[in-house]
Amino acid sequence: MKTVNSTARRNMTVQKRKTFIVCVLSVIALLALCVRVGYLMIMCSERYSEQAQQLHERERDIKAARGRIIDSTGAVLADNKTVCTISVIRSQIEEPERVIEALSSTLGLSEEYVRKQVEKRSSRERIKSNVDKETGDVIRNLDLAGVKVDEDYKRYYPYGELASKVLGFTGGDNQGIIGLEVSYEEYLTGTKGKILTLTDAKGIELDGMGERRREPIAGSDLHVSIDINIQKYATQLAKQAYETKQAKSVSIIVMNVNNGEILAMTNVPEFDLNEPFTLTAQYEGQEVTQDLLNQMWRNGCINDTYEPGSTFKIITAAAGLESGAVTLNDNFSCPGFIVVDDRKIRCHKVAGHGAEDFTHAVMNSCNPVFITVGLRIGVDRYYDYFTKFGLRQKTGIDLPGEASTIMHQPDKIGEVELATISFGQSFQITPLRLMSTVAGLINGGTLVTPHFGVMAVNEEQGTIEEFTYPVTEGIVSADTTDKLKYVLEQVVENGGGKNGYVEGFRVGGKTATSQTLPRGTGRYIASFLGFAPANNPQIMALAIIDTPQGTYYGGQIAAPVVRQLFENILPYLNEIGYQ
Amino acid sequence: MAKKQVQIRHSRHNMDYVLLTVVLFLVVFGLLMIYSTSSYEAGDKMGDSAYYLKKQMQSTIIGFVGLVIMIKLPYKHLQKFDLMAVFVSIVLLFLILTPLGVTRNGASRWLDFKIISFQPAEVAKIGVIVYLASIIQKLETLGKNVIRTPKGLATIMVPPAIIAALIYIITKNLSSAIIIMGIAVAMLFVAVPDYKWFVAAGVTVLAAAAAIVFYVANADAASSGFRLARIRAWLDPESYSTDEAFQTLQALYAIGSGGIWGKGLGQSMQKRGFLPEAQNDMIFSIICEELGLFGAMTIILLFVILIWSCMVIANKAVDRFGSLLVVGVMSHYAIQVILNIAVVTNTIPNTGITLPFISYGGTATLFLLAEIGIVLNVSKSCK
Repeated sequence: MKTVNSTARRNMTVQKRKTFIVCVLSVIALLALCVRVGYLMIMCSERYSEQAQQLHERERDIKAARGRIIDSTGAVLADNKTVCTISVIRSQIEEPERVIEALSSTLGLSEEYVRKQVEKRSSRERIKSNVDKETGDVIRNLDLAGVKVDEDYKRYYPYGELASKVLGFTGGDNQGIIGLEVSYEEYLTGTKGKILTLTDAKGIELDGMGERRREPIAGSDLHVSIDINIQKYATQLAKQAYETKQAKSVSIIVMNVNNGEILAMTNVPEFDLNEPFTLTAQYEGQEVTQDLLNQMWRNGCINDTYEPGSTFKIITAAAGLESGAVTLNDNFSCPGFIVVDDRKIRCHKVAGHGAEDFTHAVMNSCNPVFITVGLRIGVDRYYDYFTKFGLRQKTGIDLPGEASTIMHQPDKIGEVELATISFGQSFQITPLRLMSTVAGLINGGTLVTPHFGVMAVNEEQGTIEEFTYPVTEGIVSADTTDKLKYVLEQVVENGGGKNGYVEGFRVGGKTATSQTLPRGTGRYIASFLGFAPANNPQIMALAIIDTPQGTYYGGQIAAPVVRQLFENILPYLNEIGYQ
Repeated sequence: MAKKQVQIRHSRHNMDYVLLTVVLFLVVFGLLMIYSTSSYEAGDKMGDSAYYLKKQMQSTIIGFVGLVIMIKLPYKHLQKFDLMAVFVSIVLLFLILTPLGVTRNGASRWLDFKIISFQPAEVAKIGVIVYLASIIQKLETLGKNVIRTPKGLATIMVPPAIIAALIYIITKNLSSAIIIMGIAVAMLFVAVPDYKWFVAAGVTVLAAAAAIVFYVANADAASSGFRLARIRAWLDPESYSTDEAFQTLQALYAIGSGGIWGKGLGQSMQKRGFLPEAQNDMIFSIICEELGLFGAMTIILLFVILIWSCMVIANKAVDRFGSLLVVGVMSHYAIQVILNIAVVTNTIPNTGITLPFISYGGTATLFLLAEIGIVLNVSKSCK
C-alpha cells in the first residue's frame, strides 16, 4: 500500500511537470500563431487589402473628354458634346410609380418598358443612354431617389461634312476610326476615370459606404494647319465642279510650299461626320456594307494613285534643267509625233507645234519635246532624279492609309517606258505625292513633309508638343528652281494654263489631262497645279476633277477652279499676314 | 460534519473566478461576433439578421445550465461513468446511421431528438475525457506501472481510437477525430513518466507529414485525391482561389485587410457574402478584419490565460482524477484553439475546426461550457 502510495505521489509529481509542459507547449504554439497573425496583418496587409479591395469594389468607368481638333483660326472642327446616361438603382428607389411616370414622360419611352427596367431584379439597370444634357438636367433636378444621371461625352463635329475625310471620326468607345482622329489618337484620347463602389459578394452596392472617384484626364487638343475659311471655300468650289461636271469626284489640296502645312484638303463627295455610318447620296438605294462605307470614307488625295499626266512634266523639266540635258533656250521641232524605238508616240496637237524653244515646249505641254529631254537624261539618271525627288516614297503625311507609288523596276525601264514617264504616264502616284515633290522643286529644293498637325495643347500643361516633320534639302539647285518658276509662270501667263491667271497676282502652274486606267474608256482626269506668288512661291493648290462629263481638258475645267480659289484666298492670306 | 461544512465554505472560496470571468467574456464576445459576422447573410437569406444570434443564445443558455450543474455536482461522481461514457458515445455515433440522424450541408453529423438536436462527436469529446481520467486513476490504484504494460496502454488508448475511427467513418469529420486522439495522447503523456516514446512518436508524425507535403508539392496535380488537393491549396492558395483554397484565401483577405487597428466592429467587408458562413470556422478572420491585430492578440491572450488557469487548477487538484479531468479539458481547448487559428491563417491545411466559445455551434458551446463547469468544480476543492 505504501509503495503504491509513494508511486502515486511520484507519478503525481511527474504528472504536474508534464501538465506544465503541455501547457507551455500550447502557449508557445499560440504565441507562434500570434507571430503568424502579426505577419499576415502587417507584412501581407497591403497585398491582401489590395486584393480584397479589388474583390469588393465594382468599377464604373468615367469617360474622359477627347481632345478637340482646332484649326489655325481657332475654329473647333471636332468637339465633345455632353450626353447623359440614365439608370436606376432598384434598392434605392423610394417611389417606383413616380420614377416610372417621370422617366417615361421626360425620355419619351413607353411606360411598360420603363416599368420593366425599374422592376427588374438587378442592382443597376440602364434606362437610356445618349440623352442630351438638357433632358439629363431636368431628370437630375427632379431629385428622384434611385435614379442616376451619369454624364458622358460624345464626339461632335460642328461643321458636319467639312474636311470629313481628313478629320475622321470616332467609334463607340471614342476611339479614332479614320483620319486625324486615328493618327493623333494618343494625344486626343484622355485617361478614363473610375468610380469605385463597394459591393457585397452579389454585386449589390452598399449604401453609406461611400465611393472612390478617380477623375478622368481630358485628352489634348490638336491644333491643325487647316484654315476653315480656305477649307470651306475649297469644298464649295469642289462641290460646284462635282455638280456641274457630274464628276466622279473632285479633290482640292491647298498647301504651304515652304513648310508642308496643308491649309485645305477636300475630296468631294464628303460625308457627314456626325452620321459616318449613313451612306451618302451617291450610294442611294444600296445596302450599307463595310465595303461601301470604306469607299465612302476613302480620301482620294492620299489613299488613291493616278497617272499624273502633264503636271508631271514639271519633274521632267526639273531633271532636264538640273542635269544640263536641256536649257530654256534649246530649240526643238515638233511634227506632232515622235518615234521611240520604232514606236510612234503622238503629241496632243496632231498637227505638231513646229519649231519651239524649251520654254514654249513647256507652255505648249509638248509631248515630243519632253520625250526628247527624257531620253537625253537617260534611264539611270532619270530614275535617280525620280528617287531624289522623293517620288518613290510616301510623303509621310500624318494621315493613315497613304498609298505608295506604283513605278517600274529600274531594270524594266526601256526607252519606250522612259518616254512615257517623261510626260507623266505608265506609273502612278498620289495627288499629294505630286504636290509635295513640285513644292520641293519650286521652293528652292527643300522636300517637305505635308502635314496637318501643328501642336498638341493640354488644358493643364499647355503646349505639350509642337510637331516637327522630316525635311530633305537640296533636291535641286536654286538655279533650277528659278528657271522652273519662270517657265511655270509663263505657262499661266501665255501658255496652256491661261485660265489659272489671277488678276493682281503672279501665278505659276501646269495643267494636265490624263486618261484613267484602263485606257480607252474615254474617261479622263483633269487637273491643274498652281502656285503663287510665282516669283516667291508660298501657296500651292492642286485641283483634280475625276471623270468629268463634257469638256475634260485640265486647262479648261481645272485651271478655273484654282483661279477662283486663288482669287479669294490670296487676298485673304495677305490680309491675315500668312507667312 | 462541522469539518465538511468548513471544507465546502473553504472550497467555494477557492473557485477560480479569473477563469470564469475569462470564459464569460469569451462567450459574450462570441455572441457579439456571431451577430456581427452573420447578420448580413442572415438578413439576406433568413430574413432575420439576428437568426444565428438567437439560436446561439439558446445554446448558450442551455450551456450555462450545464455549467452550473457541473459546478454543483461533485466531480467525483463522474468517476463512475468511465465505460458508460465510452458506451454512450459509441451508441450515439451509431444512431446517426438510423433515421434519427440528420444531414446538414452535405454532412451527417447531427442527431435529432425533436426537442433537442446535437452532434454526437461533441459528446464523444467529453466522454473520452471522463473515461480516460477515470481509467487512468483506476489503473494507477491497481499497482505500480500497470499503465505502462501493453494491456494498460491498450485499455487507455483503444476506446478513444475506436471512437475517433467511428467519428471519421460515420461523420467524415476528420477534425473531431484528430481532436479526440489529441486529447487521448495528451492525457496519456501526462499520466506516464516516459518522454522518449512521445518524442519519437512526435518526430515520426512530423516526418510523415513533411514527406506527404513534399510528395504533394512535387506530384502531378491531376493524380492526387481530395485530401491531397487540400494540401496543394494550402501550399499555394492563390492558384486554387476558386475551389479548394477559396475559403482560405477569403479568410486571408479578411485578416490582411484588418491591419493593426481593424476596420471597426461591424465594418467587415468579407462577411458580406465573400466569406461564406463566416460565423463558423472562419470567425477569427473576421475578428482580425474588424478589430485588427490588436483585437486578434487580445483574443489569443485570453485563450492563453484560459489554458494557463486550467494548468494551475490541474496541478493544484487534490486527486489524480480531478487533475486528469482538467488536463483533458485543457488539452481539448488548446488543440482546438491552436488548430483553428492555424487553419484560418493558412498555417496548416484547411480542416473544419471551430474556435471554442466564439464560433457558432450549439452542441459545441453546450459541452465546452459543461467542461468549464467541471474545471471550476475541480478548482473548488483545490489545495
